[in-house]
Amino acid sequence: MEKLERREVILMAGGAVAGAAVGTVFSGAPFLGLQWLVEWTQDQHVPAPGEESYLQGKCLLCPSACPISVRMIGNRAVKVETANNGCYRPQLAIQMLYHPERLKSPLKRAGKKGSGKFAPVSWEEAIKDIAAKIDELRSGGKAAEIAAINGAGAFASAEVLKRLVKSAGSPNVYSEPCYSSLSAAASGLTQGQSASIYYDFENADFILSFGARLVEGWGGDPGRMNRAFVDWKRRGARYVQIDTVCTRSASVADRWVPLNAGTETVLALGIANQLIAMGRRSAGANFAQWSQIVINDYTPERVAEITGVGVDAIKEIAAEFARARNPIAVAGRGASAVSSSSVEFAAIQALNSMVGSLGRRGGVMLADYSGLGDVALNAQAAKGLDDFIKNGSAGLLFINDANPVHRSVYGKTLADKMKKDGMVVALMPLLNDSAAYADYVLPTISSIEGEPIEARFKSMHPVDALLSIAGAVKGLENALPWKSFKDVYPLIGRLNLRGAGNFAFPVGLLKDYLAGFAKKIGDKKYPLALVPVEAPMVGDGDGMALPYVLKGLDGLTLTGSKLWVMMNPDTAKQEGVSEGSRIDIESSRGEIGSVKVHITKTVAPGAVAIPLGFGHEFYTKYAGDKGVNAKEIMSDDIDPISGAADWWFTRVKIS
Amino acid sequence: MSGHVAPKKKVSDMKRLWGMAIDLDKCTGCGACQVACSQENNMPIFDDDSDLPKRVVFLDLMKVTNDNDRDAKFGDVKVAYLPKMCMQCAGNDPDDPQPPCVSVCPVVATDVGDDGVVSQIWSRCIGCRYCQASCPYEARVFNWWKPRYEGSFKEGLNPDVSIASRGTVVKCTFCSHIWKRERDRLIAKGVTDINAVQYTPACVAACPTGAMVFGDLKDPQSPVYEEKLKRDPRAVRLVHSIDALRDTNPAEYERRTKIKNYPNPKVWYLTSDQWLREKLSGFKKS
Repeated sequence: MEKLERREVILMAGGAVAGAAVGTVFSGAPFLGLQWLVEWTQDQHVPAPGEESYLQGKCLLCPSACPISVRMIGNRAVKVETANNGCYRPQLAIQMLYHPERLKSPLKRAGKKGSGKFAPVSWEEAIKDIAAKIDELRSGGKAAEIAAINGAGAFASAEVLKRLVKSAGSPNVYSEPCYSSLSAAASGLTQGQSASIYYDFENADFILSFGARLVEGWGGDPGRMNRAFVDWKRRGARYVQIDTVCTRSASVADRWVPLNAGTETVLALGIANQLIAMGRRSAGANFAQWSQIVINDYTPERVAEITGVGVDAIKEIAAEFARARNPIAVAGRGASAVSSSSVEFAAIQALNSMVGSLGRRGGVMLADYSGLGDVALNAQAAKGLDDFIKNGSAGLLFINDANPVHRSVYGKTLADKMKKDGMVVALMPLLNDSAAYADYVLPTISSIEGEPIEARFKSMHPVDALLSIAGAVKGLENALPWKSFKDVYPLIGRLNLRGAGNFAFPVGLLKDYLAGFAKKIGDKKYPLALVPVEAPMVGDGDGMALPYVLKGLDGLTLTGSKLWVMMNPDTAKQEGVSEGSRIDIESSRGEIGSVKVHITKTVAPGAVAIPLGFGHEFYTKYAGDKGVNAKEIMSDDIDPISGAADWWFTRVKIS
Repeated sequence: MSGHVAPKKKVSDMKRLWGMAIDLDKCTGCGACQVACSQENNMPIFDDDSDLPKRVVFLDLMKVTNDNDRDAKFGDVKVAYLPKMCMQCAGNDPDDPQPPCVSVCPVVATDVGDDGVVSQIWSRCIGCRYCQASCPYEARVFNWWKPRYEGSFKEGLNPDVSIASRGTVVKCTFCSHIWKRERDRLIAKGVTDINAVQYTPACVAACPTGAMVFGDLKDPQSPVYEEKLKRDPRAVRLVHSIDALRDTNPAEYERRTKIKNYPNPKVWYLTSDQWLREKLSGFKKS
């Protein structure tokens, strides 16, 4: 080895020092260090001071319209006070109000559809363009190509949009399937009146819920359910929850009746069998044929075998139900998201009919809310939203406060159609998965803006935006004569209760349903059942944009971007998975994954429980890259009456 | 001259001893308390608040179930949600309160007032985290990162609660700033008696089913009157199995409290579920 000169060593050492110095500067470390120093030595952000005041208002998120009081510091809203009424949703209003991704002006598509690239435009330009499209379709005789999808939570704007589209000459107005739309379709079938089923929770003394998670955001009016729940405790009403998963509703209920996934309808027939054995009859049409099926095929023994509910339990529940003074059997599986077939509604409503609960106080009535009046049209609409997405098309589609691309099991189909079809107009405060396919996105206000807080940016109340559009269309000036949302609110949302009418048993549909059900549970290729659950405040996915909602997720719902599903220990053993295993879930529609497995006895054997509302592709950075969307693989059988997919119960396998 | 001087008992006009009771039979796990708390107390907003190790919350919505009990079966199990915040411990003697966290703080950043509220002053904290280690309830959080509020989220910040620096410990203070707000309001009206002031923390005010109640533990008229709670068979305190001895074996109870400082929290949970009482108290009835 050659000997190193002293001079060379010094040069090498010098070179190393110089190299390290240059490297450090270019690594960015000094700048980062300086930034930290600044942060550590300087004061933190100080919220701007201001005079304190309280603005009184109403929460307009549901028909309950609970009073709220907003604490203001100067012109900043800092807190919503609810004084123990309503639900959690007003508490999220400030997060929505000051969300940094709120749309600041109307947007026009700037890239390919679905790319989510938009450029700001003025309200005038957007309204002119949309009105011109309506004019074009109407004058070309294609008025029926105008369509609208309203979110389940939209009230005033849904009524105005319905009026706008129908006045323009199109019957294609749809609502995202929810408890009231599904139950209205079912009562149209059994009672001949298309009004949603109204349970008199305030006066009932025995509440038998078939998978309706009553205290977890069910029915679109969580405030009413919370008040009813407290009242049941106070006056000793008995609450029995039938559910595949031990949800919080099942735990606060006086009794939880666990059953196999998707067998609620069969259990209802089993209870009907027992009621008939006790001599209970219904005066409804076709009862004789219905009871033949129930008596011959749905004996307690056979029902116990299918549902997993014991024979004794079936008899007990039937006896309790018959004995109660004001019993009600509640249909509509789910919490924020509801999915039940019309036959299931009918089978459960049949129980109410057999104990005489239909149309009386403390029983079951029909309800509708006052609207803006219907427009008579000859054209025929699709049966419901999923039917429309699957079979329909639109030259102009309004999406109002809805997210069907994420929430409907036909979301992908809708996205593909929106890419090809005509103009899409979205009205919402935050850009969501559906708005990504829009040509125009109109920024609307959050729930406490307009009243009592002033609207931020250039956002508008959706009613005002729609009225402006109507005003710009030739020939629609008189159809919507109102000036602003303040004129519309007094006209809508008044509850009209009516009796239940004559009940008719849909025997043919029941037979079809039961044949389909037998085929479904006999599917050997997909041995497991996928059922939905909801995480607190996430609901059907709307909450995911709000950081304070994410703070409530536990480590067994989401870790990192991975969603957890729940499985019974017996099923896990059989499938060879252990706690924390990563699995993919496959149905006949496709595959989602990977998700992690949490093994728990709160889920029925043979079932996989998956939280809804995750897996957004486009819904603020807070909802991004979090879990998977179970709706992508959930069952897509369209109910022949409601036109909504019956996605609750899906056969799957895991790998 | 004796070497030891007994600590002089503080003389105080304060009659209030704030406490809370949470009826889990009425709790639907909706999450209103947690959001109300976060909004009122300026909880930081990170890019991803679902990230548990990074999360900063004063009120944690915990999901609890008895599904890992050996003899639990599907159909017999239950789930409950547990709003868990600072339990405002008193130590064995409420008249001379010694919460576990206060005695270890080297800089008096946390202290206990004669109203029973365990305070925490973010700006005084040096971040040694002794208090966090001593807390039996994991109610204290350390700001590993600088609290952030992206863009316009800053508009919703409450000026009554200061923003913490990175490297400090923060926790629930029973919204004592609301109490101060209410006191100021009464003083403006000329009422100077501190015992005339009532207040409600944000979580309690937001609870839609009235499951959470708040008040004076010493006041027989209050919904959280302590003597009544002690006799309530549904009442239980978190990880406080010593409570079970109080009635069954008073001598042993006395002996133990002499040799060990128990947290003696001011938050009570009420539930009619035996398994949940056992799980919360850490005491199993055999």
